[in-house]
Amino acid sequence: MKNKYILFIILSLSTLAFGANADSAIWGDSLITDILGYDKKDSLHLGYLFTLLQSTYFKPLFFGVLFGVPAVFLLHYMVIGPMIFSHDRKKIYVFTLFNRIIHSIAGVAFTILIPTGLVIMFASTFGGGAFVIFCKEIHAISTLLFIVSIVPMFFMWVRWMFVHWDDFKWMMILGGYLNKDKKPVPAGRFNAGQKMWFWLATLGGFVMIATGAVMYYQDFKLEFVASFGLSQIDFLRASAIVHNILGMGVLALFLTHIYMSVFAIKGAIHSIITGYKEEEEVEILHSSFYKELKEKNKI
Amino acid sequence: MSENSRLKFYCDEQRCIECDGCSVACAEAHELPVGISRRKVVTMNEGIQGLEYSLSIACMHCTDAPCEQVCPTDCFYIREDGIVLHDKDKCIGCAYCLYACPFGAPQFPQDGAFGSKGVMDKCTMCAGGPDDTNSHHERELYGQNRIAEGKVPVCAAMCSTKALLVGDAQEISNIYRERVLSVGHGPKTQPYGWDTAYGAGSKV
Repeated sequence: MKNKYILFIILSLSTLAFGANADSAIWGDSLITDILGYDKKDSLHLGYLFTLLQSTYFKPLFFGVLFGVPAVFLLHYMVIGPMIFSHDRKKIYVFTLFNRIIHSIAGVAFTILIPTGLVIMFASTFGGGAFVIFCKEIHAISTLLFIVSIVPMFFMWVRWMFVHWDDFKWMMILGGYLNKDKKPVPAGRFNAGQKMWFWLATLGGFVMIATGAVMYYQDFKLEFVASFGLSQIDFLRASAIVHNILGMGVLALFLTHIYMSVFAIKGAIHSIITGYKEEEEVEILHSSFYKELKEKNKI
Repeated sequence: MSENSRLKFYCDEQRCIECDGCSVACAEAHELPVGISRRKVVTMNEGIQGLEYSLSIACMHCTDAPCEQVCPTDCFYIREDGIVLHDKDKCIGCAYCLYACPFGAPQFPQDGAFGSKGVMDKCTMCAGGPDDTNSHHERELYGQNRIAEGKVPVCAAMCSTKALLVGDAQEISNIYRERVLSVGHGPKTQPYGWDTAYGAGSKV
């Protein structure tokens, strides 16, 4: 009898000693297999891969995108220059109020998420500490704005976003941005560039949210992740790799989106504020859409 | 500096009795918050007769430490004696060091109302941090600085079976060789974890 009590006390005390993070998905029981498996033959080598990518490639690549993409656009602006369409002809209603509200929520989310994300990426430049931690929290909180915008955005525009023959032709001439000829460019309501941005922002955005949430919440267990034989630490490593690579793409296309709407096509940004596009802009840049509207006698 | 002054950890799996004393001593000495244990005792092959052994694991203070390589804030620094330390005033708690670490050493105390991660905490080999040695700030953030006082790190100092050793690499290697010879346990050429932490060439 006495032994029973002693055993019980020892057991409960030992759970106290190990209890610190015995339930943890990272520092709990799996720690042993994680340590033994690190970079071993039949492992996923994600620890090694993450270390290599983060120590050597991510920062310079982000730097390249952050300054390279605007540099190319600056060159484009100086050599070829912006497209200027007549603002005197009729205007075509293309974006509903709902479209514009959803787009502005997404816009606000992106303008917070991207700079704060870059501050985290280049934390050493900002000296780390309180400022970067603040940006990191803002990065997490503004994700909520992003979530409420991409779900309706996906459903309100997806029907026009599937690949069309026009898109290949659009790609071949790079959207007609290499010259200022006012030749009709093959594109429907949305051109191939906009479609790429749509898919990256919605589906890619969903992956960004998921991988970001994984890193934010860090220590949790998901049955379906375990069912793939993926340990929590490898799940975190994979999330960090995917988040950074996708983030690079998002940054590049975000900069492109801003350049197109603000600089490359004069006054194009007004369409997402007022809902109306200039008729000539639609006629040239979305020629298939324009033809369709003509046929239906909508103009 | 010569190789002689490189400090390394060595845990003798033949001697470790899984008493968890190192972990408790560490937590007490550095007044660690609940949920953080810089040092852990793990048992391999649990329940398999003849193959079961225990090891005490913490930050190994690796050569070319991966944590130092991936840190976006560059808050890590490696002392000349090999001790890997970090600056908690710079750390942003992003956990990249944890993803890179082969030993799962970096940990993150809960911080703030939303339960978000605080800045990283790990074993300092009882050498404090970048702040003034033995200052109040250093003690608050990193715990004791026993190395500065000429003392052995508390985990190794209190290890009852002297399984856990820490010190000059050459000295540790001599003890390891002596023990392997006297016990005669197989063709091992280096302690567990050493190939990962100190490189494949770190044979004793």
